Amino acid sequence: MTIEMASAGSREIRRLPPGLKLAGALLFTIVVVALPRRDWLDYGLAGCILLLAMIWGRAASWKLVRRLILLEPFAAGVAAMSLFQQGGLEIFLSLLAKSTLCLSCVLLLGATTPFSQILDVMRRRHLPGLLVTTLALTYRYLFVLHEEMHRLRRARQSRAMGRRHADSWRGQAGIIARLFVRASERAGHIYAAMCARGWKS
Amino acid sequence: MNALEVHNLRFSYPDGVEALRGLSFTVAEGERVGLVGPNGAGKSTLLWHLNGLLPEILPKEPAVTVFGIPLIQANLERIRAEVGLMFQDPDDQLFCPTVAEDVAFGPQQAGLSKVEVRQRVKSALAQAGACNLENRLPHHLSQGEKRRVCLAGLLACKPRLLALDEPTSDLDPRGRRELKALLKSLPITQIISTHDLELVVELCPRVIVLDAGQIAAEGPTVEIFSDEPFMLKHGLERPHILLHHHPHPAGVQNNKA
Amino acid sequence: MHIPDGFLDVKTAVAGAALAAAGLGLSLREVRRQVPPARIPLIGLGAAFVFAAQMLNFPVLAGASGHLVGATLSAILLGPSAAVLVMSAVLILQCLLFADGGLTALGANLFNMALVAPWSGYALYRLLRRVCGNSLRGRLMAASFAAWASTVCAAVCCAGQLALSGTVAWGTALPVLALVHIAIGLGEGLITALVLAGIARTRPELFAPTETAQPIETSTSVLQTIGFGLLLSLGLAAFVAPFACSWPDGLEWAAERLGFARAAADKPIFHSPMPDYQWPGVATNGWGTAITGMAGALAAFLIAWVTARWLAPASNDSKTTVPPAVTEQDERKSANDN
Repeated sequence: MTIEMASAGSREIRRLPPGLKLAGALLFTIVVVALPRRDWLDYGLAGCILLLAMIWGRAASWKLVRRLILLEPFAAGVAAMSLFQQGGLEIFLSLLAKSTLCLSCVLLLGATTPFSQILDVMRRRHLPGLLVTTLALTYRYLFVLHEEMHRLRRARQSRAMGRRHADSWRGQAGIIARLFVRASERAGHIYAAMCARGWKS
Repeated sequence: MNALEVHNLRFSYPDGVEALRGLSFTVAEGERVGLVGPNGAGKSTLLWHLNGLLPEILPKEPAVTVFGIPLIQANLERIRAEVGLMFQDPDDQLFCPTVAEDVAFGPQQAGLSKVEVRQRVKSALAQAGACNLENRLPHHLSQGEKRRVCLAGLLACKPRLLALDEPTSDLDPRGRRELKALLKSLPITQIISTHDLELVVELCPRVIVLDAGQIAAEGPTVEIFSDEPFMLKHGLERPHILLHHHPHPAGVQNNKA
Repeated sequence: MHIPDGFLDVKTAVAGAALAAAGLGLSLREVRRQVPPARIPLIGLGAAFVFAAQMLNFPVLAGASGHLVGATLSAILLGPSAAVLVMSAVLILQCLLFADGGLTALGANLFNMALVAPWSGYALYRLLRRVCGNSLRGRLMAASFAAWASTVCAAVCCAGQLALSGTVAWGTALPVLALVHIAIGLGEGLITALVLAGIARTRPELFAPTETAQPIETSTSVLQTIGFGLLLSLGLAAFVAPFACSWPDGLEWAAERLGFARAAADKPIFHSPMPDYQWPGVATNGWGTAITGMAGALAAFLIAWVTARWLAPASNDSKTTVPPAVTEQDERKSANDN
């Protein structure tokens, strides 16, 4: 699974204020979720709106579709539980419709809005500073730690005798343990770097 | 006035290991001084003492004075504005989600207005040759690009002393040449801790050799580096640049990096 | 356990969001109060760590693999309030970056995985430590079982939310989700113990025997405990209690009396293939799930006990704590790790 979402979209959609895109996505998902179960017409309408947005924004891409296909089986699996009740098929189909619509909407948002802009929106809306700082640091370092994790894995695999040993639970857990120790040390250095440039906590 | 005065600096880790054993030296304003020594000599630890990151509780009688300002708790903010410390791992220093945010961090923390912050960011990026990186994401940058952005982040705070910890350790030859040219172009006092002895010869007329927390030698770079027995004794060696030097051809400039 | 959009109705989503917001607010307050500034970046790095750790595969059978969730692990390593922040950051980023978990369901997901999981795991860990002892073996055992239990607790809340929304009948949601997570939780317990043992081997001060020695939160205040206890109780009351008290049966009886039920059953557009299907092999849903739960708990306890004995052969007490050092000392230690 690739970490990053595609950065796609026409200039127009990327120029739109991120706050507007976020609010739009939120509104869309809330409305779709609130729609009555049998409201197939409105589902279709919502789908058309989304499709139009994707076409106008030139954000309809194979990457988006591939992501959607990757996520759908999970939603379908959970939705399958709904079949075991009165009116279950109807519920199941409406679940699939709603979740597909909302998934596509969030994927569209992710593809056309860099996360740093979403953080800006959060800051402007006066969300707690500690939360925004944490989200910013998480976003910044999840790629770094992901790479470190891969490096630790590759080092381990090159020393392991055969596949079974390479994937052993103890070995993988050892990687996670080392990753935590490294993360802890790096956090100390980051704090020092922040202080060195005058950070006032 | 000296840029940096260190007098009898001592430091021990919490587990009792003595890292610095009474260091004393000065750095004149505008000078570029190299800091070399084997691993574990205390080079990084020394640099962390220059802007008060260590010790955790600053002593009442400071061992460090920066541009005449004694390094005590009350002066910490002033000193950190004067000293720009480049960390060994650029990923430790580049902690914001975008380049622009990171370069703006220092000026923002200093309480400058939005307009002033914007100006500082632009001029710092220009000075560091990183204007084209402004809207990039840190994890997309090469090591050389990350180093430039780190430097820009420091320059945005307008420091008068730059302390650099292994600035060329993870750079390819081109990145190294570019960083060397950049450091040469900056008129700021610099203290460069590095294993790259050739860099020291090329940039620093004066060098301090550190070993086991003490100064083994201090003086003109070429003179000290030419003493092969001395260099070998302290875990170093005579750099080949003293025997042979050829200027690398200008070649095709890579505008990307 | 990430609930997608559309699976929760508006009222459940709102309830989840309200509880999550309250819990997050309380955690932020506690972290600001208790965690020294030097440890603040560790929360963000901790979340990045959980993110990366969740991507490692733990092969189960041919093809299938499990993953660490990390809620209890975070709570033990960083303290419960910091863990709430850590898991919240992970879930928010998973939602916005990867559409993993719905936007409207974010509140409910945060409640389950960022509030219930870390807090129930931590509380159980503290409780069990009194029984198992403060030796490394005792702590590993407590941590392993707590991790299992926290996974099941979160799953039960998730089932309750789905049932409350009318998406899945309680009679299906609870057995399926509980069963699946009773099994998944065993993996979580084992992995948590393995990771903590690995950390204890290289940096014992990061997995300290007592709270005062922990590198992040120094103690849990009374307000914190009461506040979270209240929030969790409210959540359980909203999402689980109605079903545990067989309230829907009561509602059905009342609806029948008042003629609603007939109207609701009128003219469905689609006919469900399996209306009123009972979970196979169980006379009454409640008993089946309870028995499975008890069996799972026993299995979790056994695994915890065996794992702890295997990972900590002698009952060695942890060394006195040493605060993490910086720069060259770190590098020396990292070099020793590799």
